[in-house]
Amino acid sequence: MWRSQTSSSPLPVPADTVLEPPLLRPRGASLTAGPVLARAEAYQALDDADVQAQFSRPADKPHQVESWLVIEGMSCASCAQGIEHRLAARPGVISIDVNAAAGRARVVWDAQQVRLSSLFADIAALDYRPFPVQQIAADLTRRDERRKALWRLFVAGFCMMQVMMYAAPAYFAEADDLTPDMAMLLKWASCVLSLPVLLFASTPFFANAWRDLQARRVGMDVPVALGIIITFVASTASLLHAGGEAYFDSLTMFVFFLLGGRYLETLARGKAAASLESLATRLPDSVERLAGWPASQAAQRVVLHQLRVGDVLRIAVGQAFPGDGVVLEGSSGVDEALLTGEGRPVAKIAGDGVVAGSYNLDAPLIVRVERLGRESRFGEIVALMARAASEKPRLAALADRYAGKFLVTVLVLAALAGIVWSFIDPARAVWVAVSVLVVTCPCALSLATPAAVLTTSGLLARRGVLVSHPAALEALAGAGRVVFDKTGTLTHEQLVFTSLKSLREGVDQDWVLALAAAMEAGSLHPVARALQRVVAHDTVLLVLTNLREVRGAGVEAATGGHVYRLGSAAFAWPHREIADQETTDGIATFLADESGPVAILHFGESLREDAADSVSELHKLQVEVSVLSGDRDASVRAVAAQAGIADARGAQTPEAKLAVVTAWQSGEGVAQRIVMVGDGINDGPVLSRADVSIVMGSGAPLSQSDADLVLLSNRLADVPLAIAEARRMGRVVKQNIVWAAGYNVICVPLALFGLLPPWLAGLGMAGSSLLVVLNALRLARPRVRQTAMES
Amino acid sequence: MDILFLLVPLSVILALSFVVVFYWALKAGQFEDLEVPGRAILDDDDG
Repeated sequence: MWRSQTSSSPLPVPADTVLEPPLLRPRGASLTAGPVLARAEAYQALDDADVQAQFSRPADKPHQVESWLVIEGMSCASCAQGIEHRLAARPGVISIDVNAAAGRARVVWDAQQVRLSSLFADIAALDYRPFPVQQIAADLTRRDERRKALWRLFVAGFCMMQVMMYAAPAYFAEADDLTPDMAMLLKWASCVLSLPVLLFASTPFFANAWRDLQARRVGMDVPVALGIIITFVASTASLLHAGGEAYFDSLTMFVFFLLGGRYLETLARGKAAASLESLATRLPDSVERLAGWPASQAAQRVVLHQLRVGDVLRIAVGQAFPGDGVVLEGSSGVDEALLTGEGRPVAKIAGDGVVAGSYNLDAPLIVRVERLGRESRFGEIVALMARAASEKPRLAALADRYAGKFLVTVLVLAALAGIVWSFIDPARAVWVAVSVLVVTCPCALSLATPAAVLTTSGLLARRGVLVSHPAALEALAGAGRVVFDKTGTLTHEQLVFTSLKSLREGVDQDWVLALAAAMEAGSLHPVARALQRVVAHDTVLLVLTNLREVRGAGVEAATGGHVYRLGSAAFAWPHREIADQETTDGIATFLADESGPVAILHFGESLREDAADSVSELHKLQVEVSVLSGDRDASVRAVAAQAGIADARGAQTPEAKLAVVTAWQSGEGVAQRIVMVGDGINDGPVLSRADVSIVMGSGAPLSQSDADLVLLSNRLADVPLAIAEARRMGRVVKQNIVWAAGYNVICVPLALFGLLPPWLAGLGMAGSSLLVVLNALRLARPRVRQTAMES
Repeated sequence: MDILFLLVPLSVILALSFVVVFYWALKAGQFEDLEVPGRAILDDDDG
């Protein structure tokens, strides 16, 4: 049957969205839904020792192995219990811990009694998705570090409490209650219990400070380390010379507070980083390779690293695609949410491309691998993210510089305070200097800004917006004007068939379309692709003979005793000019036979569905919107008008585009920050001229693009969203800086005048840095309005 | 009061031994998951 789409509505919905099955699911549910492989054979490859080594290590006893799994689909602690019960009941499972919060499980199992693949199948049978943890080494290091941090915190806290007990009598005793030798005994006890704090708990401060000093800069930890050393040395000296004050209680207390603050920070930041890292665990560990396809369907399970480009694979339901490829057989819905943030499945049929890391949801697909590993789109995304993570935001770099100067000032102030106080009240000189060293908190400058940028990048990445230059987020927050390109940006990148006009009496329009599609079936030309999308794939195509393609002109073929030509007017009917009364914005293709023209087919661009909404959303954000395009002025204006954009400029040469953007930036009246949105293919210079460049993900290869943001989602609505999130980030960074400035302005003088004891200084600094980091992490939660926009 | 000269050093030793006990607990993974074991108590099914 031919799909009759001969109505001449100017902008029909493109065929690929029509094909979408009605499988609407709420966002976030995409990971649990869908049938899952529950057979042990599906995980056979995991029984290979080499494969296991990637996420396992030998346990304490012989034959016992400790494996780490990522389990997707766990929503609460009771899910974790269900998995634990199921697996613990199996003979051969020594122990299992499932951590619902982290989505991780640790299994210790006996290799002589049970196979790992059957354990995976058990979890899958409960409707969760088990994966081997991919970078177990990095993961274990992080876990060990966390353990060590907790351990340091405990040592500091415990010793602090005990030292406090020994210090208390000195504070409460009446004049003669405490004999000097008893006081001495208590001080010595304090000293002994301070040693673990100094030698073990405080080592991170010393290590960081040492690293900073070696790099010839003053970092956050330099004053802290100095404070710890001064306090301990002064206190011990007073002990040995039996004179002066001992400050072991203050020492242990501020170390404890600082460590506590830092521990909570690492926990919180780890969560933000984990959301980015989770991307890397998406690829399957093994796949079914069909070596003899299409002759035989015999499948063989191979691990990921044995795959080669050109391999034909069967991807079962619920499995992820291991590489970019082309569907050869079958039709199914595919969940590309991990890459695009779009929760709805995308329909895939033979000939469609699939992307590594997306899931096959409805039916098995046979796929030929085209790109693997780093070359796949998934690999490009991971590489872009790694690049983004290594780049320091401009603001943070600036903050670091200020923080350095600030800390030098603090060191000088502390030394001055120590000297001045040694004249006023020598007993308190050390105490005051240490307070000054400890209380200052440059963390809002050097710590909170990267945390805010990282959190916002993570949030946007989950929505399918990749931030490849974090610095651009700051510029994006100040965006004054968004400039769209037309083709491929405001409109879909593919052409769509818009209308057909018969030039001869009694010609069936469906037949013309079918003929045209048949003639263009083998071509990749945009017009051919548009025709292929219009005519359903199960159409019985006409039998053509003598098919011949004339490059740059058209196609010629014979059927039913006639020779037809499809292409430009000059090629289809060279004898006389075909009267083309209609002027359309788009491409016209002509069909003719020996006796004369038969029909004109019109193709045009279709506006992206969310263009108008996005524009009004941008207006709400007080951002001006313009269109700059090299296409004909009339068609640019038409598209812009449909999207609700008043300022449209067509027929712009690249030089003219640059001039216009530069004029906006320098400001006719007010200078504006320009956000340029393009497809990244033919607007390179103007994209790099703009303050922020955004490209559509379907455009140029990601690895070549140097755009600040990539809309993997291909949703224009993400442009206003990214601006709104960037503004929110800007506000949070500002709040943090105001807080840090206020805190330091108040606390440093207090410490200088001797009103702030060191322990309170430690509490103040720890609290302050924790506050700014938590404030930055607020950004991880998207605002309610976005989810409303989505539905 | 002389007894304190014994008790105070003893308390130092006791404190240090607590540190060792906690070290063992941490090493044994007692603090890895603080959520699930707490709920497991409420779970009737002891399978």
